[in-house]
Amino acid sequence: MLRAPLQKALSLPNLRQLSPALRGISSTPVQLEKIEVFVDDKPVLVEPGTTVLQAAAMVGVEIPRFCYHERLAVAGNCRMCLVEVEKSPKPVAACAMPVMKGWRIKTNSDMTKKAREGVMEFLLVNHPLDCPICDQGGECDLQDQSMAFGSDRSRFTDIQFDGKRAVEDKDVGPLIKTVMTRCIHCTRCIRFASEVAGVDDLGTTGRGSDMQIGTYVEKFFLSELSGNVIDLCPVGALTSKPYAFTARPWETRKTESVDVMDALGSNIVVSTRTGEVLRILPRLNEDVNEEWISDKSRFSCDGLKRQRLVAPMLKNENGELVTVEWEDALVGVGRALLRAGEKSAAVAGGLADAEALVALKDLLNRLGSEALCTEHTFPQDGSGTDLRSSYLLNNKIAGIEDADLILLIGTNPRYEAPLLNARIRKTWIHKECDVALLGPKVDLSYDYEHLGDDTTTLKKLASGQHPFNKKLSAAKKPMIILGGQQFGRQDAAAILAAVQQLSQSLSSSINDKEWKILNVLQQVASQVAALDIGYKAGVSAIREDPPQVLVLLGADEGTITRADLPKDCFVVYIGKLSVTLNLLPGHHGDQGASMADAILPGATYTEKQGTYVNTEGRTQQTLAAVTPPGMARVDWKIIRALSEVLGESLPYDNLNGIRQRLTEIAPHLTRYGSAEDANYFVQAVELSKTVKAQLASTPLDVKLKELQDFFMTDAISRASPTMAKCVQAVLKQKTSKY
Amino acid sequence: MSSGKAASVVTRQVRPILSLSHDDSRRRVLALYKAWYRQIPHIVTEFDIPKNTKQCQQKLREEFLKHKDVKDIRVIDMLVIKGQMELKETVTKWKQVGHVMAYWKDSVNKKPDDFLGKFLDGKD
Repeated sequence: MLRAPLQKALSLPNLRQLSPALRGISSTPVQLEKIEVFVDDKPVLVEPGTTVLQAAAMVGVEIPRFCYHERLAVAGNCRMCLVEVEKSPKPVAACAMPVMKGWRIKTNSDMTKKAREGVMEFLLVNHPLDCPICDQGGECDLQDQSMAFGSDRSRFTDIQFDGKRAVEDKDVGPLIKTVMTRCIHCTRCIRFASEVAGVDDLGTTGRGSDMQIGTYVEKFFLSELSGNVIDLCPVGALTSKPYAFTARPWETRKTESVDVMDALGSNIVVSTRTGEVLRILPRLNEDVNEEWISDKSRFSCDGLKRQRLVAPMLKNENGELVTVEWEDALVGVGRALLRAGEKSAAVAGGLADAEALVALKDLLNRLGSEALCTEHTFPQDGSGTDLRSSYLLNNKIAGIEDADLILLIGTNPRYEAPLLNARIRKTWIHKECDVALLGPKVDLSYDYEHLGDDTTTLKKLASGQHPFNKKLSAAKKPMIILGGQQFGRQDAAAILAAVQQLSQSLSSSINDKEWKILNVLQQVASQVAALDIGYKAGVSAIREDPPQVLVLLGADEGTITRADLPKDCFVVYIGKLSVTLNLLPGHHGDQGASMADAILPGATYTEKQGTYVNTEGRTQQTLAAVTPPGMARVDWKIIRALSEVLGESLPYDNLNGIRQRLTEIAPHLTRYGSAEDANYFVQAVELSKTVKAQLASTPLDVKLKELQDFFMTDAISRASPTMAKCVQAVLKQKTSKY
Repeated sequence: MSSGKAASVVTRQVRPILSLSHDDSRRRVLALYKAWYRQIPHIVTEFDIPKNTKQCQQKLREEFLKHKDVKDIRVIDMLVIKGQMELKETVTKWKQVGHVMAYWKDSVNKKPDDFLGKFLDGKD
């Protein structure tokens, strides 16, 4: 435990700068001779500085541990990893002790076993015997390890007199349930909060058996990554509040999937039981999310059940939406589409999968229409969306760890892509990396140089006249991350052109020719796939040429309103539920209620096998964990069925068929797990010089500035009661004196 | 080489069920068919089924033609035995109306095999 404050101190910026030598160690690896050690008589060659625990892991011996975690600083306070080392009088803590030459480590000797048994006994003396009512039961490290390494009998008899240690529970917010009596003081949560999340709220008070983990004062532990401490907690001290008393891990079915709440596509596991999504946990993917996920990804799953469309609806002659059978809905929509023909258009929302996007595009193209747009814009001037390098995070998420200077333009990665921000923070702490921000001043959880939010600064940067240019050109691996939200501005083309030119001017001075500089952080999960498939970015095409039929594929942001459309325009909505529809009973129907003339209920990302391309161009797929509710159907199948009713049957009728079509359009769309590189940076810059637009004088702004803005951003998280509670909690915290 | 040749010469001897030749089995099938055919008018009167003699004869033909491509004598014999069992169950009225009507599968809904049918059914 004593080391936790030291770790905290080390991550403080002033100390960091005071000790440049300390920072240099990790960035310049010195090749040292490997040393040989023996783990259970098995020889292994390791680098100097390797801990006993890591050396044991290399030969496949897992040493039990509670406090040690690969991605956190070493604390060495649980003592569970004690092992015997030959000729050492005492057992050593494997997680903290570096190996020495010729050490013979015994992970299964009598001394080791006795040490483990002793530690286990001490831990259990002050741990309640409430496993039957504990939410961690079945996935509890303490439970498992006491079965494996603990004693088979107890010497604890004091229950009648002093009893066990009791600790008051803390209220740390709407997401984390605390039962602090169960805490074994591993301090993983404290280390996570201070190192990864960058919120130094958690800490310890007291010593010995009086030690407590908490927030010192009555305060919520609010962070965009706070849910991860639930996974980190080896016991049931920190558990998920929304999931409390819901299910045991052996009752649930786990489906590996991909998150769609932001453009990163974090890998997740969806736990389901009886056709219901119970919780979402992170899945390891070193290239994307490591082993964390954001709170929105984790806790917004209750929004999948609320405000769902479960039956097709059509407007009757009185202008009211009424529930109809699929046959009637398809015929109704089909008739409108046939009448409109080439005067039909579509808008794809942020959660649409590639299969639905392709099917919709194929259908409308067959009708002779090319007006397929995405809700989120991208400038069409210059190379537009023709060159993939202009809209991707070209360095990849893992590439951030190699960067030595990161310039963020018009973005707040902390809330737009929390795990990208966690990567930047990780690099900032452990490597020689500086960060600068051009945009509104926000709390990024690490220090950065603020260059203001003025567009003239961007102009100066692009022309090389800004003082910061010196730093940029001195950097060996600079990285520029442009927020996708800036593409919504009037002068988006000029901003992109300026950033492209700045990146290109830097590329000549760097040695690594593989290193890309320009990175775009997209806002939504579907955008890259939509642009790859050939959707037009932004709805301006629809505004200019109003269609007779408009298909909204999960387009919930209200970028197109009735006012933009002719009076007799027929609007079809395919998806989960549009907030703009105002279908809720008792809701006074206004303009939004009359938006859709037909509603075809679609599936959410936990209900379909769908392809998503994340902001770095990595193709990943979600798997169906549950079936769509009621009469809802998988999105691309709705479109396929519609095409058959129209007499324009699309030439695929199963998943393999449509995946084949995806491959025809762009082969990378079915290369799951791999990120396809983009190219033609130089050409994109050449084309960007033709951009006539000038930078406007309005300062760069971002929508998500503070934590309360983060939680409810799309159709799923807006429907989630947990997310609403989070927003309330943040606002309540604001009024608190702490 | 020689062992391979020897193996090809030896044919597997199987015990016949009833018939020793195709002619034999053909005779048995025709006999069964005739037996059923003669029984049909009685079946129609005995059982209260909404079918007439003509329809039953058609169904009989259909049931036999279902197996028109069976060549194995043992399989044919087995089918003949089962056919005789069916006939006996019908004649002795061990079967009830529903069992007889089961030949027409009136109450079985056909599963859709086209995309739109499956889509409307909500099944993949």
